[in-house]
Amino acid sequence: MNTSLRRDRQDLLRAGLGHALNLGLPLLFVVIPILSFVVVSFWTLQDGQILLIPTLANYRTFFTDGSYLPVYLQTVGLSLQVTLVNVALSTAIALFIFRRTPRMRFLILMSFMLPLFMSYIIKVYSIRSILGQRGLLNEAMLGLGLIDQPIEALLFSRTAIFIALAVLYLPYAILPMYLALDRIPANYLAASADLGATPIQTLRDVVLPLGRPGIAAGAVFTFILTFGDFVTPQMVGGTQGFTFGRIVFSQFGLALNWPLGSALAVILLATTLLAVALAGLSLRREHVR
Amino acid sequence: MKQKAPFLDALLGLVAGVGLIALYAPLLATAALSFFQIVRVRGKLGFAPFSLDPYVALLANGEILAALSTSLVVATMSSLLALVLALMFAFYFVSARRGLGIAMQTMVFLPFLLPPIITGLSLLIAFREIDLGRGLVTIIIAHVVFIVPVVYRTVLVRLQLLGSSLTEASLDLGASRVQTLRYVILPQMRPALISGVLLAFAISFDETLITLFVAGSQTTLPIRLWAMMRVGFVPEINALATLIFLCTAAITFAIGLMQRAGERV
Repeated sequence: MNTSLRRDRQDLLRAGLGHALNLGLPLLFVVIPILSFVVVSFWTLQDGQILLIPTLANYRTFFTDGSYLPVYLQTVGLSLQVTLVNVALSTAIALFIFRRTPRMRFLILMSFMLPLFMSYIIKVYSIRSILGQRGLLNEAMLGLGLIDQPIEALLFSRTAIFIALAVLYLPYAILPMYLALDRIPANYLAASADLGATPIQTLRDVVLPLGRPGIAAGAVFTFILTFGDFVTPQMVGGTQGFTFGRIVFSQFGLALNWPLGSALAVILLATTLLAVALAGLSLRREHVR
Repeated sequence: MKQKAPFLDALLGLVAGVGLIALYAPLLATAALSFFQIVRVRGKLGFAPFSLDPYVALLANGEILAALSTSLVVATMSSLLALVLALMFAFYFVSARRGLGIAMQTMVFLPFLLPPIITGLSLLIAFREIDLGRGLVTIIIAHVVFIVPVVYRTVLVRLQLLGSSLTEASLDLGASRVQTLRYVILPQMRPALISGVLLAFAISFDETLITLFVAGSQTTLPIRLWAMMRVGFVPEINALATLIFLCTAAITFAIGLMQRAGERV
């Protein structure tokens, strides 16, 4: 009686400790930090001091200051462009892999995924050394006599940021797209062919509709990652590459305005959550139909 | 089986080829430049003959080597810590009430789903709130927060595949919980554990965006390189990039093979 009571108590204690550790640690290191930056976005900055006076001024600054909203919209536009191009490219590439034999699939998929594990900063640097004004591309074209002057647009411009982001984040779109295609049962394709569909019809009416979750996931990944990236625009974009992510980061560095930076980060986070919601919604509508 | 569609395949193949070139050209160019440096002789450009000078210079570059060792320490510590936590979370998910498990899982996944800039600045603010100075500790905490989801996912998939019958059999046969874990569960999960840790190590070693927020005066390798690149061109970077390229390629293929082996078991 006594020992079983003690064991009960031990079990209860163990269970309690389990809950405390498994729910407490994520709460402490994930949820509270996120809440704290949201809270900081409502604080006041005065003479370089953060005061615990609640205010909406930081958000007002975003809408009225005139320097934040345009950059925000430009960055949304840039990220959408990269997303659109990369989703199109990765759909084609995933289809290409999908149509190989199983043995080849693994190899080709791996070679597209390998750059994902390459050092991010070195990839940015490599892309810059190709694109740069004195980069390999310009030098090669100069050497071949294709151009007389280095094309300035290749570095420190929106085009350069666009290319760099597209190359950097391409594998993130290919993987979910391919995984979605991989889940399509082979007999669906056989059935479609038996019923007289041409390969193009099968592709359009069977494969792509079933691959929609992959397209949505790839689009969301690409948008979130390009929208939040603040190092690539700075490395290849120079002063022209002033994206929203860079503005947020600079508030925690040189500009040293944490409340404003937090407010801008809340807007950044809200934008990415909106992207996720839209992607989810587009999938749900497909189900209803 | 799949229908033949030569035109479609050619078109898709073309896009795939362009994609591969775009992904690899920068890396290959960097590798080539590490052996054949570009030199400018009387305004004309040319390649210098093959040399290993950048590699020699790399070995003498104390700043890079110091940052490299910091990165190795951070990646080792954080991937091992992440493994322990991921195991704990995975066992909790399969044993606790479903709602609690999902609550835990949602929180654990958040840092990986959010843009890194959000994870970085929220940790920065949290560290300041508790007066934890930026340094090695904050970097390791931030990396653990970021990589636990990856290891957790790998471990959980394997654990769920394992099912509960082995554990129950072991407990029925009189083994203690610790013995069951040590002799039954962990050996079965070895491929998942190893590939999870390798993946975590690779991500931590490379992490840049979050680290920039929480690093302070400590510099990991990516931060050091970032600072060097802003100043200008350093030939050693090409050499280092090539070495890292080779190492990651080897590790990635090892992970891939291991995960395939794990699936087959």
